[in-house]
Amino acid sequence: MQADRRRINAPPGGTAPPVFASPKNTTLKRPTRTRKPDEHRKLFLRTGVVPSASGSAYYEIPPQTPQQQGLLVPASSSLKITCSVHGPRPLPRNAAFSPNLLLTTHVKFAPFATRSRRGYVRDAGERDLGMHLDTALRGVIIGERWPKSGCEVVITVLEGEEDGWWGDAGGKDGGGGWGMMSVLAGCITVASAALVDAGIDCVDMVSGGVAALVCDGQDDGKTDRGARMVLDPSPAEHREIRAACVVGYLQSRDEVTEMWMKGDVGTQVEALLDEAVRAASLTRSVLAEALREAVELKMGAGLDDANGGLKEDKGKKKDVVMSG
Amino acid sequence: MANGASTAPGGPGLSFPPETFAKLSPGPFLHAHLKQQDPVRANGRSPEQFRKPTINTGSLTHSNGSAVVRVGDTAIVCGVRAEILLASDIPQPPKDDVETDDLVEDLGLLVPNLELSTGCSPAHLPGNAPGTLAQSLSYRILSLLNSSNLISPSDLSIQYAEPEAEEDQPTDEFKTVTKAYWTLYIDILCIALDGNAFDAAWAAVLAALQNTSLPMAWWDPDREAIFCSPLASEAHKLQLNGLPISSTFAVFSTASPLKRREDVESWILADPDGFEEDLCRETLTVVVATERSEQNPGGIIRLEKTGGAVIDRKLMQRCVRMAKNRCSDWDSALRGC
Repeated sequence: MQADRRRINAPPGGTAPPVFASPKNTTLKRPTRTRKPDEHRKLFLRTGVVPSASGSAYYEIPPQTPQQQGLLVPASSSLKITCSVHGPRPLPRNAAFSPNLLLTTHVKFAPFATRSRRGYVRDAGERDLGMHLDTALRGVIIGERWPKSGCEVVITVLEGEEDGWWGDAGGKDGGGGWGMMSVLAGCITVASAALVDAGIDCVDMVSGGVAALVCDGQDDGKTDRGARMVLDPSPAEHREIRAACVVGYLQSRDEVTEMWMKGDVGTQVEALLDEAVRAASLTRSVLAEALREAVELKMGAGLDDANGGLKEDKGKKKDVVMSG
Repeated sequence: MANGASTAPGGPGLSFPPETFAKLSPGPFLHAHLKQQDPVRANGRSPEQFRKPTINTGSLTHSNGSAVVRVGDTAIVCGVRAEILLASDIPQPPKDDVETDDLVEDLGLLVPNLELSTGCSPAHLPGNAPGTLAQSLSYRILSLLNSSNLISPSDLSIQYAEPEAEEDQPTDEFKTVTKAYWTLYIDILCIALDGNAFDAAWAAVLAALQNTSLPMAWWDPDREAIFCSPLASEAHKLQLNGLPISSTFAVFSTASPLKRREDVESWILADPDGFEEDLCRETLTVVVATERSEQNPGGIIRLEKTGGAVIDRKLMQRCVRMAKNRCSDWDSALRGC
């Protein structure tokens, strides 16, 4: 790989990820989905993590299956996404006049986000995710209230979902498959929370939901229970995912701003879409709760400052006389 | 009180909330705070008061070691990943099997990179290659890792006892040969930046390296490759040589070409935040070894001073003393994780 002049590079010989031998006395167990087909995993969403940005949010799905005892190789991944919104800011002088808010989205996986190490330069998959996110957010922002302004939505994925179980033969890995769809659903939700935190006018809160058509069955491949529809799939839990769909959904208007469907659905296109919309409604309830807490905190803080209250870890700010 | 309460009754007072003054004239705003009887900074801290750090480790599943450090509003995530560098792949191998302290630096086994373009502050938006600040911070971390000899080469080498056979004779003599080295990719991401990225990034690197565990690896002579054991019980944690702690100070000074030298006032601000960093040209970074290091307990590992001539020997000694007192804060935070 060409040396990046602006970063500290790997040793000139090149390195390879470690290859693990099969453990002698332990058998590897694929994690299985223990929740119901229409049950979402527990979500954690919090706003205000980056105080110097106009708005920010942090989204996490903790790992469901406990680490298989004693193994260094992690069984399943969790999802951790950070989003910061900078804007509305004035456009640079040489930019053309724009009557609407100019939205720029940027999605980047951290180097330690996936099983194999990623580089620092954005690749095509990440740009693609950015485009999908842009489509989802464009439908919900009221752009004409902010002419000649730009807004940057920056997403960093600290840990991403995997495409399949690592123990599978020919284990797919590195993002670009089914894992990306869960990541996109998370990105839509977290960007929505950050936009509200930044105070940018929106028509409604957009939430992301993902559903899939999966094929389980025993690992010996003999029995096949047939394909079933599940929402919020964790790709490691299923033997095969036939198709998946991500939507960005506005619940109070019953509108879909973004839809991305992949795979062989057959005749069940509408059913898969409905499942994804149901998943989006579930995430919206978490989104609304988190935003309500954030607004209450802001309102409470506003009242405190007027009474000269304390803000933790900053000490009491004294008023001074400015002269000259 | 600036809110007009002290003006004479009947006279109109001109008062704005403090944030407006901070935006319009940041320099005089900070100066007005510091020149009081009891100097205080704009964020409410005293000039020698540091922010309290919090450290969480082990939260990333795909890294060998990880840490999240929060110092005030600055939040930094560090992930350490280990990959294997075969000795046969090294273009210019070291002379003997003797392990010198410089082996880690010569082979480039530690690869730290600090990424600031993550939207952590309005000045660091993504889409550009790393700027001067990110490049210089990455390099400072690398040089501090090498000069403090934090990791010894023996921890990172994978050895193999090669039988010295002659002509098909079975032999009992074995020569220990290093077949491969572990290379640690230390990726540091800044999630939120409010001044003083270096201290927080260095602490994140220390905490992540403390948390790192390397799998047991061996050289398979038949397949000519390195294999690792996935069992956690056979993995070993990295041994760090001491725990150097870094403290940064900034100097706020009213010097200007129009003023006489005697009229200039300056203050040393410990652990500057984003607002103060923009106003201060002179900074000093002191890296001190904690008592855990045998070679140099309580000694100075590094001093870096740039930007001006306000700090003289007396002030430097005062800063080093403050840095040593700071060690206990960081030590308890690093020990607790």
